Amino acid sequence: MGKISEFYYATSPQDAVNKAKQTGAGAAYLGGGVELVLRRNPEVATLIDLSHCNLDFINVTHEGIEIGSQVTLTTISKNAVVKEYAGGSLTYLAGHIAHNNLRDMITVGGVIGRNQPWNDVVPHLIALDARVLLFDGTDHLVPLAEYIEAKHPGMLIKGVILPAENKTARGSLWRFTRTRQDISLLHCSALIAGDHNMITKANIVFAGRPAHAALYPRLSEELVGRPLTKETFERVAELAPDIVEVGSDLRASGEFRHALVRAALINLGEHMTEVAQ
Amino acid sequence: MKITITVNLIERSFDVQPDDVLLDVLRREGYLEVKGSCHAGDCGACTVLLDGRPVASCLTLAAKANGHAVTTVRGIGTELHPHPLQEAFVKNGAVQCGYCIPGAITSAKALLDENPDPTEEEIRLAMDSNYCRCSGYEQEVEAVLEAAEQLRKGGTK
Repeated sequence: MGKISEFYYATSPQDAVNKAKQTGAGAAYLGGGVELVLRRNPEVATLIDLSHCNLDFINVTHEGIEIGSQVTLTTISKNAVVKEYAGGSLTYLAGHIAHNNLRDMITVGGVIGRNQPWNDVVPHLIALDARVLLFDGTDHLVPLAEYIEAKHPGMLIKGVILPAENKTARGSLWRFTRTRQDISLLHCSALIAGDHNMITKANIVFAGRPAHAALYPRLSEELVGRPLTKETFERVAELAPDIVEVGSDLRASGEFRHALVRAALINLGEHMTEVAQ
Repeated sequence: MKITITVNLIERSFDVQPDDVLLDVLRREGYLEVKGSCHAGDCGACTVLLDGRPVASCLTLAAKANGHAVTTVRGIGTELHPHPLQEAFVKNGAVQCGYCIPGAITSAKALLDENPDPTEEEIRLAMDSNYCRCSGYEQEVEAVLEAAEQLRKGGTK
């Protein structure tokens, strides 16, 4: 492992930001620490611990559900409010990915900050339209999808907000893995809203392609305004392999992943129409 | 840096490096019941309870445990005073080579503390972090079910 020379217990987000500014490029905020131990960035010499910064909250506000960056997947999986959100898809995800020990260690801030391509949490939060609350002395609220694209170096992640307007929509996730605890060969997360059996909103995200998570607005356009039926999703499933960029790696070929893209959308249609019925 | 951890109800101070992981510190300090194996958070052999929740001590920075309570399998029960889980593991033949057992019992303890009447599915999910290369999974589930029943009847916790 690289040498970490300082472990700093920040007492507040402001204290953490001050320490990061004072230390410079060699400082890193600490989430659950899982990635840090497994894949050490040799340039990091100072760890700034956020566990005493009151960022382990789940609150309901008029904007939606606020989840602090230090909240673990286990805590999310057991939270009653999150369970009621978008059909409980985040609850299921948080309670089933990785394994029991890791779910008690992995934090929301950690997964967003590291955003590894095999990450299953970030794509689902993007599908749910999550916004990320950043702090550099003042608060900044940006869509998670934008944060992932733009990066905001030096910003402390205070948490995410699941917008209230999506509470009654339906979230879905589909992970193709070789074993239950394996990382995804392909991940598809979605949020579908409907009115009188018509699709009014559709967020489709693919990850593990093997590239990072990405929203596919073109697929959304093909779904919105159409009937909430299996046939609608089957039609989009035929288009999707030409739209979703996938690649090959040691774990799967691009051709196989294209087939999985199609299967993911058929599965999504079955899930959504069973829910609708 | 100096940290203080309450290990098995006894407050201890340790000198650690900022990047020391909890597994290494515990074993260095004589808690040899905590086993290291994959050192990558995969196998569950190193499981300890941190404030009652199971974590992979091979991935947990010792500095993050500062001020918190750690329970190892010896804090759950000893040879003289075994916990019903430990008795049930022996009785049901869940212990073969034994290397994974400290981690497995620790995960099971966290489950039963929270859910005294778990289903088989809940047991499998709560212990999905604990690999047994002797593949004694069925016996482990049976042992946890039996221990849960014993505890509900008033067995010593």
